[in-house]
Amino acid sequence: MTNSEKYDNVFCSVFEVGKDQLDGKFTFADVKSWDSLTHLTLISGLEDAFDIMFETEDILHFGGYENGKKILTKYGVEF
Amino acid sequence: MFLNIDKQNRESVALVDNDGRRVTYGELADRMGELGARVEPRSVIFNLCRNTAGAMAGYLGFIDRGAVPLNLSDKIDRALLQTMLDTYRPAWLWVPEEEAAGFGGEVVCRLWDYALVRTGNPLYPLHEDLQFLMATSGSTGSPKLVRYKKGNLEANAKNVAIAFGWTQAERPLCDLGMQYTMGLNVINTHLFVGATVLLTTYNIMSAGFWQYMKEERATNFTGVPFSYDLFYRLRFERMDLPDLKTLSQGGGKLTSARFTQLANYAARTGRRFIASFGTTETAARMACLPAALALEKVGSIGRAIPEGELFLVDDKGSPEDAPAAEGELCYRGPNVTMGYAYTKEDLQRGDDCRGEYHTGDLARRDADGCYYITGRLSRFLKLLSYRISLDQSERLIQQAFDIECACSGTDERMNIYLTDGSKADQVVDFIAKKTGLHRSLFRVFAVPEILRNDTGKIQYRKMDARYAGAEK
Repeated sequence: MTNSEKYDNVFCSVFEVGKDQLDGKFTFADVKSWDSLTHLTLISGLEDAFDIMFETEDILHFGGYENGKKILTKYGVEF
Repeated sequence: MFLNIDKQNRESVALVDNDGRRVTYGELADRMGELGARVEPRSVIFNLCRNTAGAMAGYLGFIDRGAVPLNLSDKIDRALLQTMLDTYRPAWLWVPEEEAAGFGGEVVCRLWDYALVRTGNPLYPLHEDLQFLMATSGSTGSPKLVRYKKGNLEANAKNVAIAFGWTQAERPLCDLGMQYTMGLNVINTHLFVGATVLLTTYNIMSAGFWQYMKEERATNFTGVPFSYDLFYRLRFERMDLPDLKTLSQGGGKLTSARFTQLANYAARTGRRFIASFGTTETAARMACLPAALALEKVGSIGRAIPEGELFLVDDKGSPEDAPAAEGELCYRGPNVTMGYAYTKEDLQRGDDCRGEYHTGDLARRDADGCYYITGRLSRFLKLLSYRISLDQSERLIQQAFDIECACSGTDERMNIYLTDGSKADQVVDFIAKKTGLHRSLFRVFAVPEILRNDTGKIQYRKMDARYAGAEK
């Protein structure tokens, strides 16, 4: 599985959406079900999928689908 | 005036919210008066709350007028809201301005981010002592309400403020909603002493929350167990929070490990950690554990607040008089509400409880008079601190899918047993939507049969052991 696929799968399972909905507009502000619980589930899911551990600042600023990819590149995950 | 808002220094700031509003006690008292004058005393008003100055001014102003608000979340499931509207026929709605048009009534005034909508429903008789209404938290599609009498909220605000030692110098960060008994209590107790309440709609996992906490120099925070799970996920012990002096907990039991962690953190950093216990039926808090005892009495809810009394009864309802004892936890005090309502006619009922409430929780009392919750008599879970009735969840699923179903679980997760596993996904979708909670909090088990005893009662413990046991 490619990193993109892994990344998308975590989002799809946490937010219960199809891949077609994942784009630049999929953000904390625009997605109604993006609350503290889904945020926590998302962060844990990504840490497991990529075997990394996020810094607090990155958890707090993980505000969207596209922006999350940028954060992950800091941890050596290439897309 | 309600909560003595008009007795505070008019220049002191009462409310701050994260839309940038700062409201002094003087202005708040004025706005409460203006808003109250728009409605009839003894009218029922639905307040669709979010933690902003607008929602707060409505709640305070309507109560002060003698009207009866019901605080509900602005994110409430629309089907449940419709049930509530059909059941209680409120004359007025106090709602976020952008939602006002959706209700079809006439908007008669606006204040900050809120609007007052006249529904056209006629007034109907209410009991003279009735002051306020709350839904039992996380209710599963039921219009059951708790009826507060005059004096409940103020007595609890006063006594909890004394127990916690709050002064007007406090700046509590309030993220728990004002439609939630613990959230409302944090706000009331601080307004009562003339402190500055920092309302927020940010969630703990967002950068905005922590920035707001620092910029507004929050001095105390009250969380439910899940709040502290998030705090620790964010490694909050490493954060520099010089103004934060008190951490408090309510809304369900912390694990012993988390309790100890918080008590240690507080002791090490010169802060206070105060565990507490409350219910909607007692206008919030009944008990708290003094910070000085936190490390010594891990897991305890402490002792009754001033003017209140905790006691234990055995299974026949007789008091347990021995200093150290175990039994059902009961409470007497001026904050015990009048009882429940299921219909609008129930709002004419008088005081069914007469100052005494049996919690349905099992508790132990130690020789020092400190209480510990040990279990539960009745069948409900506290998922993310929302109280979820297992019997009602079962009924909802049975009715919606016409299948055999049993629900049990822990405060971490609900177990749903179905004899027809093919509906598993749909059932989880359904119950998650009904409760407003995330799918991950529900686990379906497809089982060959629902186990029952000779009289037909479902044997939940046996089912947990047989089917879900391996998972624990």
